[in-house]
Amino acid sequence: MYISEEICKSLDDKEIVSRSLEDMGYFRCIYLRYEKSLKRYIFKISNFSNDEAEDVLQNAFLNIWKNLNSYDKSMKLSSFIYRIVHNETISRWRKTNADHNLKEAIMNSPSEEESEEKINKSKYIQNILNKMPQKYKEILVLKFLENMDYEEISNILKIPEGTVATRINRAKKSFVKISKI
Amino acid sequence: MTNFDELLKKIQNEEIKQTPKWQFDLMNISSIAFFLLFVAIGAISFSIILFAIQQTDFELLSHMGHSKLEAFLSILPFIWLFLLVAFVLGSIYALYKSKKGYKFTFTKLIGFSVGLSVLFGTMFFIGGGAGWFENAFALRAGFYESIQNKKEKIWQNPDKGNIAGYIQNVNGHIIELKDFDGKLWEIDIDTAFVPPSVFLEKDEKIKVTGIIISDNKFNAEGLYPWGGKGMRNKMRRKMKGQRQKKE
Repeated sequence: MYISEEICKSLDDKEIVSRSLEDMGYFRCIYLRYEKSLKRYIFKISNFSNDEAEDVLQNAFLNIWKNLNSYDKSMKLSSFIYRIVHNETISRWRKTNADHNLKEAIMNSPSEEESEEKINKSKYIQNILNKMPQKYKEILVLKFLENMDYEEISNILKIPEGTVATRINRAKKSFVKISKI
Repeated sequence: MTNFDELLKKIQNEEIKQTPKWQFDLMNISSIAFFLLFVAIGAISFSIILFAIQQTDFELLSHMGHSKLEAFLSILPFIWLFLLVAFVLGSIYALYKSKKGYKFTFTKLIGFSVGLSVLFGTMFFIGGGAGWFENAFALRAGFYESIQNKKEKIWQNPDKGNIAGYIQNVNGHIIELKDFDGKLWEIDIDTAFVPPSVFLEKDEKIKVTGIIISDNKFNAEGLYPWGGKGMRNKMRRKMKGQRQKKE
C-alpha cells in the first residue's frame, strides 16, 4: 500500500513502527523521516563517497526492516535507527578501510547551499575529526552535530551513560589538542 | 525510481522476511536465564568454598607444622574455585549481553555478578546446603574426593599425632575410639584439653591430637569436636541443660 507524505507526517515514530509491522507501506515513513539525517551522519563518521554512503544506507534500512520487531518502545526510534546505521557504517568502514579524500567527502555531503565561510569552517572541523580516533570522532558527531543527549548516545553506541560523558570529555580534549597542531 | 522503491523491490524480489518477535524475546529471556543459572552455580561454588574454610582446622593444622594457606589448600577441591571463577565470568558476560546490559558499567557488571553469587552462596552455606550438596556431588561423581574424605585422611595419621573417629566408650580418663578404618584405640585423656564443645558421648565424632604410645594406645593432648552439621544444635542443647540445672 502506498502511504503519502501527508499521512506519514501525521503519525509519530511509535505509531509508524506499529503500522510498519502490519503493513510494509508504512516503512516508507521511516525512510522519508530519517534518510537525510542518516546519510549526513554516515558522511560525518566515515568520509564515504556518495555511492558508498547510499549503499550503506540501503543495507542499514534493510537491517532496520528485518529487525523492526526488536525495537524497544522505551527508547527513541531515532536511537534504534542510528544504532543500526552506525554499526553498518563502522562494519563497512572496517572492511574497506578506505582512505577517502576529505574534499570529495565534503563536496558529496548533502548539505544545502552554504556560504564559503560556512564551508571553510565545516572543512576545518571535518579535517580535525578525521584526525581523531574513531570512537572520539563518532561521539562528537552524535553530541554536537546530531545534537543528541547522553541517553540517546548511550543507546546508539551501546555504552553506559557515564562512559558517554567521560568519552565526550576526552574527545573534546583530543579535538582541542589536534586543532592546535 | 526512488531509493525507497529500490529497497522495497529488493525486499520483495529476494523475499526477505522480518525476524519474528518471539526470536528476540527468546534471546532476551535466554540471556537473563543464563545469568541466573551462572549466578546460581557461582553461588553453590562459593558456598562450598565457605564450607571448606569452615572444615579446615587452621589452628590445629598450623600447630602440626602446616601453614594456614597450606592447610586450606590441602582440603579445598580446586574444581569449586575453578567453577566459581568460570561462572562469575559467565554471569558477567550474560548480563552484559542482556537487552539493557550495555547500560551497566564494568564495575557494576562485576558488582552484580559477584555480589549475587556471594549473597546467595552465603545464604546457601548458612542454610546447610553446601555440605549436603558437596556430599551428594561426591557420591555421584566418581572422580571427585569430598571435603569430608580429605579431612578424614588428614586426621587418620596417628604417627604424626592426629587421630579422629567415633567415641565407643568412656571409662574414667580412658576413652575408646573407633577410627575411620574401624580400628579401636584406647585414648588417655587425663592431661588433655577438653573444650566445652566436646561432650564425650557415645558415637560422638571427635578429633584428637597427641602422641602414639603403642599400636592401639594414644596419649591425648587435646580433644576437639569434628565440626560441621549438628554441632551447633548439640551446643544449644548443652547450654539449655546447664541453665535448667542451675534453676
